[in-house]
Amino acid sequence: MNISKLFLPGVLAITLFSCDVTDSNTDNPIETPETYEFTRNGESTVSFTGQTTRINMASELVSSMLDFDSSTDELLLQMYRNQTADGGNTDPFSSSALNESSKSVKGKVAASEDYFSSNATESAELKNQFEEWISNQISVVYPNENSLAEEGVAGQIADGSSTRYVNEKGFEYNQLVGKSLIGALMVDQMLNNYLSSSVLDAGTNRDDNDEGVLDGDSNYTTMEHKWDEAYGYLYGAAANPANPTPTVGEDDEFLNKYLGRLEDDEDFAGIAQDVFDAFALGRAAITEGAYNIRDEQAQIIREKISTLIAVRAVYYLQSGKNALDQNNPNYGTAFHDLSEGYGFIFSLQFTRVPGSSGPYVTKSEVDGFLTQLNQGNGLWDITPQTLDDISESIADKFSFTLEEATN
Amino acid sequence: MSLLFAWSCTDSSTSGLNEDDFAREAILVNWADNIIIPAFEDFAAKTSALKSATEQFSNNPTQQTLAELRQEWVESYTAWQRVSMFEMGKAMELRYRDNLNIYPTDTDEILENIREGTYNLELPSLNNSQGFPALDFLLYGLDESDQELLSYYTTHENADSYKGYVTDVATRIDTLTGTVLEEWQNGYRDEFVSNSGNGANSSLDMMVNDYIFYYEKILRAGKIGIPAGVFSGTALDGHIEGFYSKVYSKSLFLESLRASQNFFNGRHFGSQATGESLSSYLEFLNSTKDGSALSGLINSQFEEARLRAEGLESNLSDQVKKNNTKMLSAYDALQRNVVFMKVDMLQALNINVDYVDADGD
Repeated sequence: MNISKLFLPGVLAITLFSCDVTDSNTDNPIETPETYEFTRNGESTVSFTGQTTRINMASELVSSMLDFDSSTDELLLQMYRNQTADGGNTDPFSSSALNESSKSVKGKVAASEDYFSSNATESAELKNQFEEWISNQISVVYPNENSLAEEGVAGQIADGSSTRYVNEKGFEYNQLVGKSLIGALMVDQMLNNYLSSSVLDAGTNRDDNDEGVLDGDSNYTTMEHKWDEAYGYLYGAAANPANPTPTVGEDDEFLNKYLGRLEDDEDFAGIAQDVFDAFALGRAAITEGAYNIRDEQAQIIREKISTLIAVRAVYYLQSGKNALDQNNPNYGTAFHDLSEGYGFIFSLQFTRVPGSSGPYVTKSEVDGFLTQLNQGNGLWDITPQTLDDISESIADKFSFTLEEATN
Repeated sequence: MSLLFAWSCTDSSTSGLNEDDFAREAILVNWADNIIIPAFEDFAAKTSALKSATEQFSNNPTQQTLAELRQEWVESYTAWQRVSMFEMGKAMELRYRDNLNIYPTDTDEILENIREGTYNLELPSLNNSQGFPALDFLLYGLDESDQELLSYYTTHENADSYKGYVTDVATRIDTLTGTVLEEWQNGYRDEFVSNSGNGANSSLDMMVNDYIFYYEKILRAGKIGIPAGVFSGTALDGHIEGFYSKVYSKSLFLESLRASQNFFNGRHFGSQATGESLSSYLEFLNSTKDGSALSGLINSQFEEARLRAEGLESNLSDQVKKNNTKMLSAYDALQRNVVFMKVDMLQALNINVDYVDADGD
């Protein structure tokens, strides 16, 4: 390992965390940085405030869906769009920073370059799906806030000592929105937009990056910034964004949370460090102009993040099945699990097979699974067999087993 | 915090131990006939008396009827500590414990229910505004003095609604208890006793899991650990049983601890006699840990926990505020029995833990 010759003994420990990847095209090894800190002329070049903003907007939207005393259809849709129905300015959020922002959740839902730049129809359908769920929460669930849910009737249902609010088919709209945004917003933007060469290498990005041409008044090149924006969808709410792995899972309720969940499962432990390392090394490679290394890291991230979505989909399907498949079916627990599972299945259409142009599970396959969950009386009459079938179909597309995802 | 009570679906295989030689059914018979059903009968009698006292109070709210009602409340709350661990069958289906004893109670919700006068206590979202903790608030916590408290039931503009709420809460405690007892008396006892095999769905495995879950989560964590701040890092002196009546939290805890130890030893309800039990089963298997009999270790640990708890203030809220170290010390003694029972005992009995903490979302 000749790479260690480069290091003073005092920093040898760094190599414990390194991937010691060498770019085969050059002789320059690039060390995986321990932290996500990059500078130019002594100033940081890292920026992903837009991603932090959208995570915070999404978070307030999802929690407001259960604010029965204050929320209205109009308010929730304004949180989703960050504008009024006719495009006017609005202040739907509790924080002025979010209200002042020109960004919105909706604008980046199903909006990646690779999947949607020439598919405006599908993009619009997917964006509107969220509006339908949001509006249904107000029109279907809110009126039944103080009713007991039963087959065909929306209302509340106990899940252990928690109370869940479900529609007439047993689905929690707040979970559908929250978990589906993980795919439609975070994963799609990360894997199919900012990590894609179509975005990283757009226009004169490569030449600019090679020559150190900065993006307007900013201290970063456009390519550096694009990579950071991908990073921001995972770590934008981290307690310490430069070194986010120690708190992974605790920093938001979206992608970060579930990377933490996988890390806690011994079958997938190590994934949090792997993902962070790929981001850090890829960013270092951009600084060095080593685009092959950059793209290798993008493929690693695509594989890991896509797997994360699938593992959680299967996990919730199996948890829901176990809650239903007993003498006294525990409907409340099952419906909560399966509502989360529904969102993760929805998110699968935004995954990305490394080295390909498409997802692990196609949109039509996803729609097929969701139809099976939705049909008839929905979760009230779903069978364990159906949940097993969907779980196996998903796991078959990936390199994990049903058992690894479930335990 | 949401706890998921998930049943495991794996069958535990016989491991070559001789636990099958033991008459499991004898334990189940002793539990059902000498402990569980008598405890529920006793509790049902007390919830019925509580309900009657509530009606007396509502008809005629005076210092006298208030005192009588409070007395019935304490007695039934104490008797509750002897049945709370049996959350199985109908009790599990009804989510009995969540209906009777979630604390801290939601006083805002209670007052809103009373003000609006329309509420459905069957709703899961109202679990934390009913049961014994709600009565604790309504009978002790509405105001400073008894005289002021009584005025809510006499001269307050919503006095009828206050009286109605107290009555509805007590009635629901009594009705749910009647439903659970009735199931035990009409069929469930036989089903419970005859399901005497081993494996995850056998009565023994389920009861032992319910028992250890109760000991770990409801007794150790709920009554001592959470108020002492073991899980939050900050002491929560409002998170105790009987917060508003102030003087009962220690005695309610001790009753729960006593009931847990009696169950372990198969001691008949209201008697010194004992029958087949977890303790006798461990003795039959000759289970030891570090050279000592496991059943003896567990009993010693119960005694140790009791000794430490007896030195606490009768109001655990005061104890937390004045000297939380003593609470933590009681917690540590309780925790050691989690290890003895959940690890060593379950291993000896070849029983798998069937509950897990949910991931909290």
